[in-house]
Amino acid sequence: MKKDAETTHLRRVSHWKLYLLIMLIAFGIVFILSLNLGYAPIPFRDILIILTKQIPILENLVDASNITQTAEVIITQIRLPRVICGALVGAALATAGAAYQGIFRNPMADPYVIGASSGAALGAALVMVLGIGVSLLGVNTLQIMAFVGSLITVLVVYTIARVGSRVPVTTLLLTGIAASLFLSAIVTFLRTIASDQILHGLTFWLIGSLAPTENWDKVWAIFPFIIVGAVIAYMYSRDLNILALGEDQAQHLGVEIEKVKRILLVSGALMTAAAVSISGLIGFVGLIIPHLTRVLIGPDHRVLLPTSAIVGASFLMICDALSRVIMGSGEAPVGVITALSGAPFFIYLLRRKRKGYAV
Amino acid sequence: MVVLTIDGIDCSYGSVDVLKDVDFEVKSGEFLGILGPNGSGKTTLLKSISRVLQPHKGTILIDEKNIYGMKSVDVAKQLAVVPQSTPVTFDFTSLEVVLMGRNPHLPRFKMESKEDLAIAKNSMKLTRTWEFADRPVTELSGGERQRVIIARALTQEPKILLLDEPTTHLDISNQLEIMDLIKNLCETKNLLIAAVFHDFNLAARYCDSIILLKEGKIVAVGKSEKTLTSENIRKVFSVDTIVKRHPVTGFFHVIPISIPLNQQQKTLSIHLISGCGTGSPVMKLLKDEGYFVTAGVINLLDTDQEAARLLNIPTVSEAPFSPITEEAHAANLNMISKANVLVITPTQFGDGNLRNLEAAETALKEGIPIILLENGPDEKRDFTNGKATKYLTELENNGAVIVKSNCELLQVLDNLEKKNNKNLHQKKET
Repeated sequence: MKKDAETTHLRRVSHWKLYLLIMLIAFGIVFILSLNLGYAPIPFRDILIILTKQIPILENLVDASNITQTAEVIITQIRLPRVICGALVGAALATAGAAYQGIFRNPMADPYVIGASSGAALGAALVMVLGIGVSLLGVNTLQIMAFVGSLITVLVVYTIARVGSRVPVTTLLLTGIAASLFLSAIVTFLRTIASDQILHGLTFWLIGSLAPTENWDKVWAIFPFIIVGAVIAYMYSRDLNILALGEDQAQHLGVEIEKVKRILLVSGALMTAAAVSISGLIGFVGLIIPHLTRVLIGPDHRVLLPTSAIVGASFLMICDALSRVIMGSGEAPVGVITALSGAPFFIYLLRRKRKGYAV
Repeated sequence: MVVLTIDGIDCSYGSVDVLKDVDFEVKSGEFLGILGPNGSGKTTLLKSISRVLQPHKGTILIDEKNIYGMKSVDVAKQLAVVPQSTPVTFDFTSLEVVLMGRNPHLPRFKMESKEDLAIAKNSMKLTRTWEFADRPVTELSGGERQRVIIARALTQEPKILLLDEPTTHLDISNQLEIMDLIKNLCETKNLLIAAVFHDFNLAARYCDSIILLKEGKIVAVGKSEKTLTSENIRKVFSVDTIVKRHPVTGFFHVIPISIPLNQQQKTLSIHLISGCGTGSPVMKLLKDEGYFVTAGVINLLDTDQEAARLLNIPTVSEAPFSPITEEAHAANLNMISKANVLVITPTQFGDGNLRNLEAAETALKEGIPIILLENGPDEKRDFTNGKATKYLTELENNGAVIVKSNCELLQVLDNLEKKNNKNLHQKKET
């Protein structure tokens, strides 16, 4: 029995909100679970009480007499900022990845494709190797240099790729690859002259880790960029849909493609730069999360972008939680976990091309 | 009612000039075809009209308004484009792709309403794509996908529809179905249609008017039957064609004959005695080789007569189904006397055209070499109780050369040509 296409379409659109709600609930559960995992065991009940206590209107409703001072500090000052940073970084990378895959009409695109990662790596490596890491008003130079390096690289790549008033995406991709190779060569050189101790830190940073995010300053440093970037990307989600028909056709449908591309590239670059500035180069999230989400809910960017953000946030929180417990007292870099868990799952998805929505 | 004015535009890619001073006007309800060889600027012209490539000189106006001064959404409300093919990156369903056509009409944060859905559904029903509305476009065949893209264009509710070789990759039935649909939209919805074609016959069948482009310039513009002449086509494409109205369809048909070879004009002048279509291929062969060819006497309505007319061969003709009159015979003799060679093709002979053999006999007596093209016994094509066979045998006995194939014919003619050249050369020297 064939269903009417109109009904099917309407039902699919009306399901978007349902999916978003389910994802949000899953996100909430992952959030609480992540707070529970760590070296010091703190029971769920205590975590919930501590969290409730932080909310001004609800603080009198709970009995916090059994909660130790230590537990409260661990949760609010150490674990909470780290989990929030993980969520923000995951959301940023996944949203930027989804937007870039849409702009480049290429499933291989990710937030790092036009040089955001190699620029940040160079900035971070310079700070570490030259030993100029100092803290200014709660934000350290490492973070600033990584952020600035990332943005400058994207800007330079964009400028080089521009032909007159147009920026062809193929040229942009190739310029991005060339710039990445160039900057990576410099980073490799810096690694050879770095001392063992610095090299260890730099390697950790290049793989990506959320360990340095255990304070609220980090959250506030990236929060505005990621929120603004994500909102801007969402505003242009219908244009991203139309770009799937090619740039000429998007133009014919009233999309001012050069403007839209510029805005989306900038918003993606802002989100990515903010994310890598505190966590280093966490790979794979920006590549696989948009694909995974597309398999779940379809290619429409109006729902794909927000869902990718939530899925990316949850995924990185899980990976970070694993990185904290997997090695007992030590900590594995989260970038290793994302690749280890993500790659096999991604291959599974590629093999199992679901009817209706292919990866 | 909408008017599209292209006002003296020049376009270029970088430093390469593609369009030079292109100037024309189209109105609602008109179907304009744009034809030209590869690289003549057809697609560039569509790109500049669809606001993708801005001309560096001249303006493009929709109802007196410069499209490059309008917002892109406002242009998209008036003008839709169907490209040759549309690769779609993600697995959007057909309906989702068609709904994208509502983009210029929707504010940024508004979802498609029930009305938008109704418009999309209507366009999909028109293009017979509603039946696979729920299937991903990436799974559709070329023809189906192209119809989806047309539905998307219609969902824009445009007044102008531009098409860039919309049926190039499609099979013949899909081609006709899509073109019929577009023609129908042009007539019923009063759409202005401008389409680039590669296929003359498709253009001749559907277009009201045609623009012929060559090297970025308009060579001819006007009603299809006035523009699509073999003369214009030779000018633009350097191809010899026959353009005629097809007796069954009533449409103009363009039949390519050949690319004019840069054959040197030869000195030999050849007269053909033919009929019943046996002369047509020989006429074309000799023309292509660069010989000057005449023919006669041929009855009107004979295929050979038609071929001679299309190939611009001077001919002595006679009324249909009538025996050769004294005047025609005299004219024929006159024409033969100016020729260097007489070629007789294996035509049938009846009492009506027997005098052509009489003329041949006269020619032989005057010393004009005769070549008989043969493909079987003379008796089989003799309907004169042996009179024709007698003539032919006599010609053979008196020195007429018999050739069995076109190849042999060309060899004999080549020798004669060389001899003729030598004679002319000697004459010049003395």
